[in-house]
Amino acid sequence: MNKHFPMSRRGFLKLGGSTAAVASALGASRLQAMEQELGGKDFSPVTGKLREAVPYTCMVCNIQDGGIAYVEDGRIVKLEGNPDHPGNRGKLCAKGNSGFLHTYDPDRIMTPLLRTGKRGEGKWKRITYDEATTLLASKLRGVIDRANAANDPSIRNEIVFKWGRDRSGGARGRFMAALGSNGQVGHTNICESSKKIGLEPGWGPDIEYPDFASTKYALIFGGNVVEASYFHNPLAQRLMDGKTQNQTKLVYFDPRQGNTAAVADEWFAPFPGTDVAIVLAMAHVIMNEKLYDDAFIRNWTNVTPEQLIAHLKSYPPEFAEAESGIAAKDIRRIAREYATTKPATTFSYRGPCKHVYGAYQEAAIQMLNVITGNVEKKGGYCLPRGMGYNQPGPKPPGGKAPSILGQPPEYPLAGHQVSTHLPYQIMKGQVKMSVLMTYYDNPAYTYPSSHVWEAMYKDEKLLPFFASFSPYMSETAQYADLIIPDTSYLERNDPDSMPSDLRPWIGIRQQVIKPLGNTQEFRESLLQIINKVDADGSLGMKQYFPFKNGEEWVRAQFEGIPGLKEDGGYDYLKKNGVWPKYGKIDPVTNQIVDKNGDEVPAEYGLHMKELSAAAMDGASVEANGAIKKGGKTIGVRINGKNYAGFGTGSGKIEIYKESYKKYGFNPMPVYKRLASRGKKADELVLTTFKVNVHTQSRTAGVKYLAELYHKNPAWINPKAAAAKGIADGDLIRVTSSLGYIVTRAHVTEGIHPDVVAISTACGHSAYGRLAQLKLKDKAEYVAGNDPDIDNNVWWDDKGVHPNPIIRLQVDPIGGSQGWFDTVVTVSKAQAGDKYGDVKVSLEEAMKDYEETLRYAYTGDMHRANHKEVDIDWNSLPAPKAGGGH
Amino acid sequence: MQTLIERVVDGVWRDECGAQGALFKLLARVIEYEVDQPLLDSLRGELREPLAEAGAEVPEDLLTGDPAKVVEDLAVEYTALFVQPGAISPHASVFQTGKMFQEPADRAANWYRENGFVFTHRFSGEFPDHAGVMMSFVSALFEREADALDRGDAAAAQVIHETRERFLIEEMGEWVPAWCRTAAQAAEHPFYERMMNLTGRVLWDELTQIVPPRRLRELSEKNARGPVVVAKDPGFRKASGL
Ligand code: SF4
Repeated sequence: MNKHFPMSRRGFLKLGGSTAAVASALGASRLQAMEQELGGKDFSPVTGKLREAVPYTCMVCNIQDGGIAYVEDGRIVKLEGNPDHPGNRGKLCAKGNSGFLHTYDPDRIMTPLLRTGKRGEGKWKRITYDEATTLLASKLRGVIDRANAANDPSIRNEIVFKWGRDRSGGARGRFMAALGSNGQVGHTNICESSKKIGLEPGWGPDIEYPDFASTKYALIFGGNVVEASYFHNPLAQRLMDGKTQNQTKLVYFDPRQGNTAAVADEWFAPFPGTDVAIVLAMAHVIMNEKLYDDAFIRNWTNVTPEQLIAHLKSYPPEFAEAESGIAAKDIRRIAREYATTKPATTFSYRGPCKHVYGAYQEAAIQMLNVITGNVEKKGGYCLPRGMGYNQPGPKPPGGKAPSILGQPPEYPLAGHQVSTHLPYQIMKGQVKMSVLMTYYDNPAYTYPSSHVWEAMYKDEKLLPFFASFSPYMSETAQYADLIIPDTSYLERNDPDSMPSDLRPWIGIRQQVIKPLGNTQEFRESLLQIINKVDADGSLGMKQYFPFKNGEEWVRAQFEGIPGLKEDGGYDYLKKNGVWPKYGKIDPVTNQIVDKNGDEVPAEYGLHMKELSAAAMDGASVEANGAIKKGGKTIGVRINGKNYAGFGTGSGKIEIYKESYKKYGFNPMPVYKRLASRGKKADELVLTTFKVNVHTQSRTAGVKYLAELYHKNPAWINPKAAAAKGIADGDLIRVTSSLGYIVTRAHVTEGIHPDVVAISTACGHSAYGRLAQLKLKDKAEYVAGNDPDIDNNVWWDDKGVHPNPIIRLQVDPIGGSQGWFDTVVTVSKAQAGDKYGDVKVSLEEAMKDYEETLRYAYTGDMHRANHKEVDIDWNSLPAPKAGGGH
Repeated sequence: MQTLIERVVDGVWRDECGAQGALFKLLARVIEYEVDQPLLDSLRGELREPLAEAGAEVPEDLLTGDPAKVVEDLAVEYTALFVQPGAISPHASVFQTGKMFQEPADRAANWYRENGFVFTHRFSGEFPDHAGVMMSFVSALFEREADALDRGDAAAAQVIHETRERFLIEEMGEWVPAWCRTAAQAAEHPFYERMMNLTGRVLWDELTQIVPPRRLRELSEKNARGPVVVAKDPGFRKASGL
């Protein structure tokens, strides 16, 4: 009993209990629970003021999720997912949430910089955007004048644009087309190009949409979708929806135990590059045990079950076991489960396709879905649904002469280029480059044998003028002669769309805030440059850029999209961020629901849409059923009905790829034993991986993310480690034929015993002081400027980047870099080795270029590896510039 | 020590305001923008001796080198020191919050606005909380105070006087002296090293005149946040991505 308040605790409780009974009669208090709705509103915790909410499209990674930026006093203070976005449904990943730190990063380049010292010496002079665009325009004009004087349009190809993550909605392409240069080189061959080339000739699009939310069985090969890979965030959510709401069984194949393996019902770690053997063996089981969908194969593919059975004869599960290490009994069991559980889908990302012959791997995985009839079914393996936007007319005609830079004629099937070959082509004098421009591109960090790029950048004879649009001082930008910094993605205008849901959408990137400190978005710089190259309009370029500014340009891109105008057009997008609005996200089921709470259904069976009479007007039907009009296949006739079909020449899924055969590749998916599979017992295969809080190269300086993940020790299995006398945390040397790096060992069961795995995102030698962790290297750095760095950085390890020792070797079909094909030795560090040492040979790297060309269709290894292909090897088509599809 | 009133009466204070205004203007100019030909001429001419006396001798290469080259070299040094990634950012937001363009920038802009100034960009990447702009604001307030005294408007002079002191203490006192020390240590050219040291000394001297001892101790602690010793390694800016 308390002397001031004569009531016991028991008494209090009693009173409380009685009060609870009448609580509703007491009415609402002034104190309200904090807003707990699914986003869309935010308040200042200090003033209580409603913050301005501006929708945008994320572009920290390539998934393009929708976000809402909250702005207070002209500053972005918080980002969250756009609750009306069908793709990411109100959620951003850690990278997306911390995106505004890109904007306010003290190490961001805020003004154009002109190099004054030697290349890469770090000596710059600040200049204005006007001066910078004038200088670049004069360099471009010089090349154009030379081309015109010589009446040789191929000279214009000496103007080269190399890009990495280009989400400029075609702005870069339009700019280069106006300049008349085909010297345009992307980055897709270090990304997933062999996946695309495995899929496109098979059914049209370059990717699948696995309907995880509705599937009963998800079979994933090397696609760590819970934390990285394509459509991470949207697909991670849907996979979890499937698992929690639909009891989806998840079976995962990956030599490393990432988070997808961790949530899988079963995780298998195959030898790298042998997924295709497992897949073909599963197909073997499904076909031979008659678990296939006979009608679907006969109606919708260009092969018969009999042909498939014959083709798969050489891939029994025991063969796959010998190659992959996965037990034949498991392969059989999973094949049966997969074929008999409906609906089911596969998914794969870089794991299988980033090998030499990666295109076969992807084609084989797709085949599993086709033979089981899971294509375009609810819960199955679906076509991607994207939405296009406009390129306002009049459009520039483009370059007149083909360029082979980054698109060598030895790779005619590699429709997404072979960008890795660029520096070798330049250094070997095969192609000339006068002006190089780069955008969101950092090959001196992101490419295999990255030191080769560095050597090219440093050489002013090979590269007379180099301009970068990077707003960060990357490993590549540091070699530029001129930097014209773009803004961060929150200060620019672009249209964007991604097939991250079964309901197609189009989104907007807009200036959430005015470009910080009067910086200038990429589009504005392009407009300025064109207007200076063609100041009087006599070159005919200016007419293609009648836009006052970036926003006007993007507004024009949204015109003509059916249905958008009626909903409010561009202004609707500015307000809502994404179009159309399909409904609300149900916070319990995560599904998009209508006003009545019913799920807004997605459309399936796109290939079975019947063609209208108008579409058929003037069309003809070929013997194989392909419906042709104007020289193009518009559909396919099956059992007397005219269907939309798939995006192939026959309108069917082409498991048999005539285009492959033309160049001596096997038209059917096959297993080719890789050199790495024949490694010596004490060697390991080096693989790399992305982590859930970083992009490959652009986030090491983002403070929140750097704190979460900043070092990347090499994952090594206890068995392999013990054999080499290596303990967890030991300093180790990882050595390939190119040289070695010195890093640390992370000894873990979560990695295949024949593999050593090192993540990307760490070990920067540029990209700002946090990425480089220069503050800890106090002998040569000043602290005392950024209090976060002075006081909050508790780690002293920035990791070690593996790319310098990764060998150039590309898939001769899809052109992809074989990221996971480098054989290494791992040993304890030697006396004198220091953590972070990198010693690599340029000469050895140059040899790899010659070696990988031997696998191209023109090379001797191609024939040796494709003896089974029945063609006249002496009559292969001649290599042709611009011959890629 | 005379009181302010006594000093005003004596006319000493008016002259001091004028002198301080000019001194802050020079220091602000050096921090705000690259040295140009007219400034170089002044450094070689009328400013040479007084700077030497103040302990910031104009370095030999500035006095004798080809003017165009000197201007160019100093622009490179300026960019490295104050502009490019990894520079010693002259912005309070970076120095105090680790991010560009935060509340200190708004506060600075408010001060300027309330006193009839607007902040304008010359280059991109400049913000109102730039140390040079702040110095320039102090200089302008010194000049205004001198003008008011010239006009005999003691009340106006007093208001300006108090505004300036508050601005110095509230917006600059906690970080600019430390920033000057950091920048001086990072400078690779003796001109900037000396000018940053001079700026730090001038500012601290001013603060000691206007800040009560306890608050001065606080400011001293805040400014003690220290730069570490920098070896003048030629690779210093290169590898760090500066
Ligand atoms: S996955 Fe993350 S980084 Fe990528 S778009 Fe979505 S929120 Fe942005």
